[in-house]
This record gives sequence, structure tokens and C-alpha cells, in this order.
Amino acid sequence: MGAFLKKDVLVLLRDRTEVAVLLGMPFILIAILGFALGGLIGGDTEVLKMQVAIVQEDDEKQGIEQFAAALNNSGMSAEQETALLAVAKETSPSTLLRGILADGNLGELVTTEEMEATAAEEALKDEKVVAILTLPENFTLDALRNMLLGIGTGSELQLTISDYAATQSDVFRNILDEFAWSLSFESTVSRMAAEEGKVYGAPNFEVGGIEAVSAANPINSMQYYTIGMAVMFSLFVAGTIGSKAFVERQQFVFDRILLSDRNPLVYLGSKAITAAAITFCQLAILFVFSSLIFQTFDLTNLKLWPGIALIAAVFAICVGTLASLLTALTIRLNNETVNSVFSGSLVILFAFLGGSFMPTEGMPVFIREVGDWTPNGAALTAFLIWLQEMEIKPLWGMLNRVLATSALLLLLSLLLFPRKGAA
Amino acid sequence: MLETEELKKVFKGKIAVEGANLYLDKGESVGLLGPNGAGKSTTISMISTLLKPSSGDVRLYGKSVIKNPGKMRQVLGVVPQEIALYGELTAYENLKFFGRIYGLSGKDLEISIQRVLELVGLVDRQKEIVKTYSGGMKRRVNIAAAMMHEPEVIIMDEPTVGIDPQSRSHILEMVRQLNQEKGLTVLYTSHYMEEVERLCDRVYVMDHGRIIASGTKEELKSILSSEETVWMELDRPYPEFFKELQSFDGIRQAAEIGKGINFIVPKGSRVLGNLFQAAERHRAQIVNVTVQTPTLEDVFLHLTGRKLRD
Repeated sequence: MGAFLKKDVLVLLRDRTEVAVLLGMPFILIAILGFALGGLIGGDTEVLKMQVAIVQEDDEKQGIEQFAAALNNSGMSAEQETALLAVAKETSPSTLLRGILADGNLGELVTTEEMEATAAEEALKDEKVVAILTLPENFTLDALRNMLLGIGTGSELQLTISDYAATQSDVFRNILDEFAWSLSFESTVSRMAAEEGKVYGAPNFEVGGIEAVSAANPINSMQYYTIGMAVMFSLFVAGTIGSKAFVERQQFVFDRILLSDRNPLVYLGSKAITAAAITFCQLAILFVFSSLIFQTFDLTNLKLWPGIALIAAVFAICVGTLASLLTALTIRLNNETVNSVFSGSLVILFAFLGGSFMPTEGMPVFIREVGDWTPNGAALTAFLIWLQEMEIKPLWGMLNRVLATSALLLLLSLLLFPRKGAA
Repeated sequence: MLETEELKKVFKGKIAVEGANLYLDKGESVGLLGPNGAGKSTTISMISTLLKPSSGDVRLYGKSVIKNPGKMRQVLGVVPQEIALYGELTAYENLKFFGRIYGLSGKDLEISIQRVLELVGLVDRQKEIVKTYSGGMKRRVNIAAAMMHEPEVIIMDEPTVGIDPQSRSHILEMVRQLNQEKGLTVLYTSHYMEEVERLCDRVYVMDHGRIIASGTKEELKSILSSEETVWMELDRPYPEFFKELQSFDGIRQAAEIGKGINFIVPKGSRVLGNLFQAAERHRAQIVNVTVQTPTLEDVFLHLTGRKLRD
């Protein structure tokens, strides 16, 4: 077995193209995806921080007074007038908006500053703010009349966004959209309640698209894509081993091995062990070098690495069994189609489903479930769980999936491999 | 020592080899000749236990190797037509790997590696990557790999295809030495008739999956002992002249080869005079005429109707 292992490793290491694909490509993609898509990963919320200019052209106090006067002339009963005025004071859109932007999670992301219109435009031009939010004249009055009395078309917030920080601008626009929708919904409820003589308190808004993955350590984009790319490119190891087996078959080296009267299963086993060993080394190299170059993981954190090593080892075993299945099919069918299809299509599909390109949180539940059953997807999830919780127990669900898949792949490869291979 | 009995192989209803009976005595060098598709490689694969026969048997020292291929594999070395080596490894690393899978290790392994490297004349270049070697050097390592476990029988399938004359000469001399000086039993296939004539004691001729003739070189040549081969070289091809020549009584196996014509005539035949007259009628200019006793190539042509390299 040692002879096979040494030979396979030497053959692979001397194939510069393969080494570049297995080690070089992931680094390039980690760098590109880690930097470019950093804003989409939860741990990178820092880069989403945004400065917004508020241009206040509306006089809120005057607006409420005008709304009270409008109520007087509406012909409502005194009780209804009192109730709606109370709601109006509590739900003044201007106050609510400022309060939402200043408080809670949004307060950590959005910093607002009231400015004159010209100063705000200058700030936007100088890239000091990512957006200008203008509360137009009579905003409070028009909004309250529309919201609580159903009169008029309401008022619109004016948002001027920058080109240089598209992600932040988009996020801020989404926040405002959600605010407007929530405000409209809550106000309708309040108006209907007031008409029935009941008074509700101020609406309780949950505005914004922030999803906390957990209360534990956040994952940043470099960590995510280092793991995502590493598990994806590990799958290519299986394809590479399968392709090398095809070359051995084509060049009659496999026949020469058979003629040595070694049990063919030794050959199959050596492919599995070689692939597993190479995968483990590949993962180790990618994690360590990513940490050295991009400061992805804390190399001095001794608690971190045993868990990573455990998950990497389990995943490497799975890639090994996958390589043995591809080898068995290649030898049985005596063509390379199976490896081409695997490396050219299945790896990309697995990577997509498993979340190597983007987190699967936003995808349909079915796809997420399927993704977590792919070896790379399960391994990726296990790595993320470990990084967030630093406990072994929560990992076992995913690791058991990887081990079960490994057992299935090994069984299939044993069934499909032509054991005799000859007379 | 080694014999096959009514060996037959059918692939998807198509007969590749049928009724192949051949034997090799210990220390003998035997040639297996046949055009492409004759069934040589299939026969070799069955003898070397890589392919299970549809029927028939292969016996080593009288015992069947179909059920127990291990016995055969221990004493057999196979040099395939392809370069069955790892191009990314050095010659030394290749030989070390193949030695180890044959169970060699430590000092024995090192001794075997150096022994076969000396045999193929590559001691000085053993640490170079195989894919950087010339075609001839690769072929020599290919042979060396089959010799690592000191086999008693070696099967060589076209071991000199596509190499330079120097390497070819080296390989032929090496095979001759292995056979005549070390007593190795050799089964040799080649497209080059002169190689078989030079190396082999006996020859089997295969065509369409069957062995159609066998014997010593002299026995085979005696098939055409009452005939002579004529090679007539012309200044250019003359299709009409060739057509008329084929209709002459006594001329057999006429073949246009380049500008010339090759054919067989009965010994002492007077047909040549008529031939010169016909050439004159067709204004064909004869450059050269050679009359010789039949070669194995002619015998092959006689038996199969095809040139060996067709």
C-alpha cells in the first residue's frame, strides 16, 4: 500500500496543472470572493456601516397642529378625535423614523446627521455620506392625513443615494421601504381601531434585514470563503484521482499492476487513502496559508485547530471514498466520461448546493436540506458550527452525515470495482 | 513449458481468436506474426492471464493457469506495446514502484533496479523523468520494468515500435542475450519481419483469429521453396502494364509497391522474357529487376494475402 501511496502522491505533485488547480485556484477565489462579497456575510457588518444625511424640510409640530385642526373639521365624534390625535402624536412618521434609525441594531449600522440641503449634497459628492434622506415640507401632515384619515395621497420620503457605496445605499433603501410598509400597515390597524373607539399604543417596528446567525462568534467573509472554496476544491481531488486511474488503465499500467498478482482491492484502497491524505493536506495548506495571508483564522488559538482537524479528517475520508467510487467506475467502464462529468458539472452543482459560492440561508428550505446532505455542504456547515460555537457536540449531526455518505460511497465502489480484472 | 489448447475468445458475438494452439519450450524464442486485427494481442492477453478465454486453456508446466493465474504471473514478464510507465516519475522511481508491487524491498530491490538498468543501458540516466526520454529510452525502461522480478518467460508485444535504429538495435541485442545467454523463454510479436528472423527459433503466423502456419523459419520458407520472388522497379507506376502482368500464367501475388511491382513466379520460369516484352509494349522503363529466394515476408504474404504492415 505504501508503494501505491508514494507513487500516487509523486505523480500528482509533479503535475503542475493539477497542483495549480487544487491549491492555486482556491487561493485566487478566496481572495476575490472574500473581498468582493464581504458585505453579504454576517460577520462583515462593519463594512456596511453608513453615514446618512437627513434634510428636514418638514415642521413636525406644526404638522400635528394642522392635523388636529383637520380632525376638528372632519365631523367625527369628540371621542374619536381624541383617540386619533393621541395616535397621531405617538406615530408621527418623522419621530418614528428618527427613533428607528437611532436605536437598536440599525443604530449600529446607520449614523444620521441633520444637514441643510446644499450641505447634504456636498457631503454626498465628497462621499462623506452614502445617502440623503429628505423629509419634504408638510410630510407629517400629509402622512398623518393619509394614514389616519385616509385623505390625500400621503407624502413621500425622498432618498438620494450614492454610486460609490452601492451595497450600503441599497441596504438603506430597503430599510426605508420596509419602514414605509410597516408604517402603513400599523397605521391602518390604528385607524380602524380608533374608528371603533379603541386606542392602540405606538407601533412596534422591526425594521431592517439583519439576520443574526447566532449569538456566537460571527463568521467573516474570508473565513466563509476559505472554507467554502477549500471544501469545493477538495472534491476535485477525487476527480483528479479518477482521471489518473483512467490514464493508468489506458497506458496499461493497471494491467502491469494486475500482473504483479496484487489483490486489485489494494489498488482501489490505495486510491481512497491517497485521495484522503491529499485532501487533508490540501485543507491544511489552504487554512494555514489563508490565515497567514488574509488573517482568516487565529493561528495561535490552540482551541480552534483540533475541531478543524477533526472535521477536515472526516471530510477527507469522504473525498477518499468518492475517489474510490470514481476509480471503480473508470476502471469498470474504461472511459473518462464519469470523471469529466464529475469535475465539470457535479462539483459545481455540489458547491452551489453546499453553499460554497454563497450562504444558503436565503435559499428555499429544500435546497438547503439537499445542500446539507452533500459532503461539502455538510462539512462546510460543520466548520461554521465549530467556528461559532467551538463545541464538538453540535458537530456530530453533520459529521455523521459525512461518515454515512462515506460508507455508502465505499460500498458502491466495492460493488462496482471489477475485482478480478482478468483471468 | 507453456502451451495453449484450443484457445478461443468471443467479444459480443464476434470471434477474435479461435482454436489457437501454440507452445513454448523452456529457453525457446518464438515469434508470433500477424497483421493488425489478426488476434495476436488477444492471444497474448489470454496467455498472460489478463483476459479470460471464452474456452480453451493455457497451461504452465502442464497445469492450467485459468483458475490459478498467480502461478503464471510469478514467472511471467510482459512488455506491452504501449509505454506502461508513469511519465511523471523517473526511471528509478518507476522501477522501484514496480519492484515493490512484486514484493521486492530493501537491498534486493536496489540490486534488481540496478541489474535491469544495466541491462537496458540506462544506469546513467536513471534519475531523469521518463516523459523527457526519447521514444527508444522509454521502450527500454518499459522492458526493464517487466524484468524486475526476474521472470522465466517474457512476452514482448511489438517492443520496438516507433523508435530510432540505435535503440532498436540495442533492444534486439538485449533480447538475444536474454534468450541465448540467460535462457529466458521469449514470445515475440513484431511488424518487422527481420526482427523475427533474427531473434526467433520458431514462428506462428496468425490471421483472422487463427494460427494458419507454424514451424521453424526454414520450415516456413520451404512452403515457397519451389518459387522465387521478383522485384521489378520502374521509373514510375504503369497501371495498364500492372493489369496485364497480373494476367500472365505463373505470376502470383502481384503487388504494386511505390513505383515497383513485387510478385512470385515458379522457380526457373521463363515468364520474365514475356514480361520484358510487355513492358516495352507499354513503354515502361525498367530500372532494376531482382530475383531472390522467398523471405518470411513472402511466406506471410502467401499465407495471408496481406503485407505484414497492412
